[in-house]
Amino acid sequence: MIGSLILTLAFASSIIAAIMYFMNYRGYNNALYYGRLAYHFMAMFVLVAAAMLEYLLLTHQYSFKYVYEYSSNELPTGILMASFWGGQEGSFMLWLVLTTIVGLVLQSYSSRRGDLEPRVMSVFGLATTFILLMVSPLFKNPFVYLWTEPIFIGIKNINPSLLHLPLVQNFLFSDGSSGQRFVKMNSDLYSTLTAAGITLKEFVMNGKGLNPQLTNFWMQIHPPILFSGFSMSTVPFCFAVAAMMKNDYKDWVKQAFPWLLAACGILGLGIMLGGYWAYEMLGWGGYWAWDPVENSSLIPWLVGIAAVHTMLVQKKSQSKGESIGKFAMTNLILCMMMYVLVIYSTFLTRSGVLGDASVHSFVDPGTMVYLFLIIFVGTFLLVGFGMLAYRWKYLTLHAKSEEGILSRELALFTASVVLCASAAIVLVGTSAPIFGHSVDASFYNSMHIPIAIIIGLLNGLSLLIKWRTTKANDLLKKSLFSVSASFILTVLIILFGGISDILVMILTLTTSFALIVNLEIAIKIIRGNKKMLGAYIAHIGIALFLLGVLSSSIYSRENTIDLIKDEPKTVLGYKMLFTGYHPIENQSKYAFNIKLSRNNKEYEVNPVMYISDFNNGLMREPAILSMATKDIYVSPLGYDDGSTNKTEGKQISLDLGGSADFSGSKITYNSFIAPDMSVMQNGGDFQMGAKLNIEKDGKAYSVDALMKKEGRSVIFVPVELNDANIKIQLVKIDPSTQKADITFSEINSTAAPSEPKEVLTISASTKPFINLVWTGILIMVFGFALSVTRRLKESFT
Amino acid sequence: MVINMKNKYLFGGLIIIVFLGFMAYLFTQSNIKYENDFEKVKSQDKIVKATGSWVKEKSYEIDSKNRLFSFYMTDAQGHEMKVVFNGTMPNNFESAKSVVVTGEFKDGCFQASNILTKCPSKYEGQNIQEVKTSNL
Repeated sequence: MIGSLILTLAFASSIIAAIMYFMNYRGYNNALYYGRLAYHFMAMFVLVAAAMLEYLLLTHQYSFKYVYEYSSNELPTGILMASFWGGQEGSFMLWLVLTTIVGLVLQSYSSRRGDLEPRVMSVFGLATTFILLMVSPLFKNPFVYLWTEPIFIGIKNINPSLLHLPLVQNFLFSDGSSGQRFVKMNSDLYSTLTAAGITLKEFVMNGKGLNPQLTNFWMQIHPPILFSGFSMSTVPFCFAVAAMMKNDYKDWVKQAFPWLLAACGILGLGIMLGGYWAYEMLGWGGYWAWDPVENSSLIPWLVGIAAVHTMLVQKKSQSKGESIGKFAMTNLILCMMMYVLVIYSTFLTRSGVLGDASVHSFVDPGTMVYLFLIIFVGTFLLVGFGMLAYRWKYLTLHAKSEEGILSRELALFTASVVLCASAAIVLVGTSAPIFGHSVDASFYNSMHIPIAIIIGLLNGLSLLIKWRTTKANDLLKKSLFSVSASFILTVLIILFGGISDILVMILTLTTSFALIVNLEIAIKIIRGNKKMLGAYIAHIGIALFLLGVLSSSIYSRENTIDLIKDEPKTVLGYKMLFTGYHPIENQSKYAFNIKLSRNNKEYEVNPVMYISDFNNGLMREPAILSMATKDIYVSPLGYDDGSTNKTEGKQISLDLGGSADFSGSKITYNSFIAPDMSVMQNGGDFQMGAKLNIEKDGKAYSVDALMKKEGRSVIFVPVELNDANIKIQLVKIDPSTQKADITFSEINSTAAPSEPKEVLTISASTKPFINLVWTGILIMVFGFALSVTRRLKESFT
Repeated sequence: MVINMKNKYLFGGLIIIVFLGFMAYLFTQSNIKYENDFEKVKSQDKIVKATGSWVKEKSYEIDSKNRLFSFYMTDAQGHEMKVVFNGTMPNNFESAKSVVVTGEFKDGCFQASNILTKCPSKYEGQNIQEVKTSNL
């Protein structure tokens, strides 16, 4: 309970910090000291609590529910540390820790910029208070003990020497349908064990472990980076509210700008890493599925990017002496919406409303959490827009909005509008499941083609036109080179790529235009003032990214093929040869060897398949052959060792007592032929199977479909029943559920029994220039980093 | 060239209307409704997301030649339908608590283009490793 106590202390400190900072803003000078003190105490408590959770995981303290649910003894240290954010409670902790750290930096940043600190930090304190409330014992606390709520623990995780104790017997359960055995862990069992002098650490020996899809490198870096982006987007919200508190809209632009840029850069990196993770691990061949969880981090990012563009205009117009500058209200709204949408995305993905719609979404956490998240979103909407209403009159009175049509201001504003439109599309599609609807990917894709066209056009055009107004003649003269060069590039791409869709042609043209204009200007700048480079580099990154998205999706070719062992097949221009498989990672997974060759060059790829202990499911991992111009993506679908001749028959799965029909025969699964359990558990030879009753033309036969284990090998014994013209072979049988998978085939249809052939079924696809997708984003993030350093220097008043 | 206030709002408003109209049109075009009543699923020829659970007693069939996977699904009222999926059996299918299939009801069965399985976290299966891996 120490962990919960520390979190409660942090919660109290956070409230005190927010109140003290607010008092200081209202004129109580001594309150500043207490506000700082309380914030630092809060930060210390949060960091200690996080260190405790990490310690519990590393030392396998399964008496804590979170440790039991998301880790196990088998996890390697790096993954074990990452299991910190494997579940809901822990990912809120991660968000909390990162927000706290961002707050420490923000406190030091704001204390050195005039009277900024009390206003910014009082709003920031409100944010930390809410997240702390989320991890408090009321909602998603990670320090809950294992027994506080009844939980069923599989007996394989229980110390076997304690399982036979009489006092445990009352708590043993078995699942009627699967026959699996569990211990019901609750407070009664805990007190029974304690009375007998047995600690929970001795009793529960292992945890449930982490979902195998999470046990990889990306789990260690993607969530921390994404949540850093989420945490940093708190800051522009605080600056916006702080500006309205003082009713001064001049300094906040300069002061918030580096934070906004950094938040967008890091959030963008986080989103891309998530996409790369999906591409490399999930095996469906893409990096973006418009899944609600992916979307919900994209929406705040798009709004943040929109804010970057209009804030630039406000900053520029301020420097020309127009007191508050252009688009002040737009910027306040966008900066606030970015954080509100971060919380809204938390609501979407954590409240269970997307239950049926997403692969990632967490299981229903209960009405309390649902309501709390609504209050969280509601509070920040109310604070932000309440302040805006309060200053509405002043803001509308001082707004300036005269522009020339050909001005950079208007181009930037249009860019921001287009980005908001994109955010609105994603928001509508992602929120649809709340109302019982859903949209498929085509909704997002067809809406985004025109948006991408406009983005490409503006991306280039806005750099060619000047601030305020540009003469049309100047523009024509300046753009002559880039327009003609991009036309040539587009024609080349269309001819070599064979593009036929008119929208795609236009998109290619505008994207090439953006790329060339930005390159042209970047080259000029490299010779001159280097600190201006950031924006151009970021835009080059975006243009490359869009080209990569186009080429890797439109020109992707896909084939599903059966590769027979040692028989080469030509697929997508490559000769592919399946040569067998070998166990990897302590025999827990199997890597399949496929040799590829083309033009005397040889490659090898190794897609992986295995049965996971975690969920008893077949897991597949793709293999990617990465080349300069394209990726060859090989995703395994299935493997047949040939012993069952599956392709020639029909596979039927039967439960005990179940029956099925096959070519005029009625087959009934009469009884389970049980193995000798003690021999089986000691690894000795045994046999088990299904006793079947087969009826055909009024006659009944009894047949045993058996599997035998002899030494290291397993044999499924085929049975032929000539009278019924049927061949039966067991494929798999599960002794705990007694469910049997059996193939049936007609004897005379397989007149010439063929040699058993090992067949690997794969889906192979090419992804031309997919590297541009990753490098484009990385270049963009690099551009953001350059801009942040430049804008940081400008942020002092 | 300077735009006057009135024209600007008119122009902006027009763009927003066109955008919203386009979005609403595409939304209705690609909109898929969730349906948990199979009687309704069977009576309409529209693509829906049918939610229900797998009928374990009726088991499932794998046709590896045509790469088809079929099983029976039931809704909360007990209405059953046969589901045919063009693909391999999804991960976790057997332990799924509930199933969401996307597709439409045609020729007496539900032709699914996508299967989403929701798994209970409470129970976990145990099996003999040899039996499973030999069938990989």
